[in-house]
Amino acid sequence: MKNLSDEYVWKALKEGDLNAFSILYKTYYPMLYNYGLKISRKVPLTEDTLQDFFLYVYEHRENLSDLDTIAPYLFSSYRRHLIKTLKKKSKIVSFDEMDVKVIDIQFTPEEILTHQESETFKNKNITVLLNKLPKRQKEAIYLKYYSGLNTNDIASIMEVNYQSAANTIHKAIKNLREEVSILQLINS
Amino acid sequence: MAKKNYNTIEDFLSDESFNNWAKANRLTDVDFWDEWIAYNPNKKDLVYEAKDIILGVQFKLNEPSKEKINSEWALLENKIKANNLEAQKKQSPSYFKLIGIAASILLLISVGLYTFNGNPEKITYKTAYGEVLNLKLMDGSLVTLNANSSIYYYKNDNRKVWLTGEAFFQVDKKTTTNAKFWVVTDDLNVEVYGTSFNVDTKHQKTAVFLEEGSIWLELKNGTTQKMTPGNFISYSSVNSLITEQKEKVDSRFKTSWKDGSIIFEKLPLVEAIQKIQDTYGLTAIFKDETCKTKLITGGIPITNLSICIKAIEKSANVKITKLKNQLIIQKK
Repeated sequence: MKNLSDEYVWKALKEGDLNAFSILYKTYYPMLYNYGLKISRKVPLTEDTLQDFFLYVYEHRENLSDLDTIAPYLFSSYRRHLIKTLKKKSKIVSFDEMDVKVIDIQFTPEEILTHQESETFKNKNITVLLNKLPKRQKEAIYLKYYSGLNTNDIASIMEVNYQSAANTIHKAIKNLREEVSILQLINS
Repeated sequence: MAKKNYNTIEDFLSDESFNNWAKANRLTDVDFWDEWIAYNPNKKDLVYEAKDIILGVQFKLNEPSKEKINSEWALLENKIKANNLEAQKKQSPSYFKLIGIAASILLLISVGLYTFNGNPEKITYKTAYGEVLNLKLMDGSLVTLNANSSIYYYKNDNRKVWLTGEAFFQVDKKTTTNAKFWVVTDDLNVEVYGTSFNVDTKHQKTAVFLEEGSIWLELKNGTTQKMTPGNFISYSSVNSLITEQKEKVDSRFKTSWKDGSIIFEKLPLVEAIQKIQDTYGLTAIFKDETCKTKLITGGIPITNLSICIKAIEKSANVKITKLKNQLIIQKK
């Protein structure tokens, strides 16, 4: 799905190929939809902003710079677009205070598969522990394991360098491991 | 296989054979690393941390359905094409003249859209008992309104209609805008893109049958439900329950009324008579309880009451007498 075809799809899109755009749309819609829902927590708003965003991408296709991977561009521009809309829509404090660079993702127990490959994450309190992580770590976890993006992409979405993105992921896992072992000590 | 030093977590993560061990992928790698860990107990923490990074947390993906994505794409595609068309028009020389005329027409229309009290004008269609009405809405969609039913919409938002009673819709796909079509009832909202379907709100529930295309229902309890052709769903907001749901229903049973007949298949007479009551505003009295459960099969014309009664008499082998607004049903 990635890289080679991304590059081709992007080139075709810049030439105005609607088919290429349709492939792009259908490939990234689910990932961006989830991401938008995590940020806004509202289905209609997520759908509307996604439509506006994709229309914007198509209409400004000639100004797009050459990319070999599309995901980081789509994730970060969609996030900017969504947060701008959220701010405009509600004068309520919570969104006013929202920093474009820091979003607060919340995980729900239903989202965590009961089957976990790692013993560490089989803990029944894993959702609580995930939600307790610092915001940046939560987002890194979300992008890596929920959206399935690689560290390079995560670095560009979170606007940091590779090493810093990698560290954030490592720290998150380290934190989770520590919390789990503390819980196990208490319960034993 | 690895002879290098493993000091940082990156050293482990970037090592292919280590990745294989973490995922329990290749036996030779698994053996190698099991042994390695036994010889390097001081690295154990780092090793298991790296393993957790590789395996990660497994999430259940909450993804929109393929159909939803396709219909959202169709909307966007229409919008893009409409915008392209607009851009082409702008290049033609006569465009400015046209836009002048169009603007003045638009002005006239928008004045007409509001009545004197400033509220948008409401358009209502209503049918009496025994009457079926074929309508064409402002946006080109076709509606067949069953007896004793009504729909209304506002002129400034003519793709949202409110329904009581029963109607069959053939919604035009709007290629110039991405406007969705909405049908609103007491129990639910139907979100439509261009499709044909039947909505029946009689007896404190709303029953929706989809003939073709795809629609979304927004039930008044806040949940949404997607329908595919052949699906039948009946929902009541009185008890917030889906009262009936079928995967595949022959469209003739649900939509034949618009062509002037009702098609029954092994339907108890009491339910068939209910349909006649709804259509003609009559009450029914069963002299013999046993008549109620007689099954009736076949097409009954509904445009003419006396023919309709004769057809039911024949099909169910009963005697029906009409006295003013009452139907009296008894054994032959």
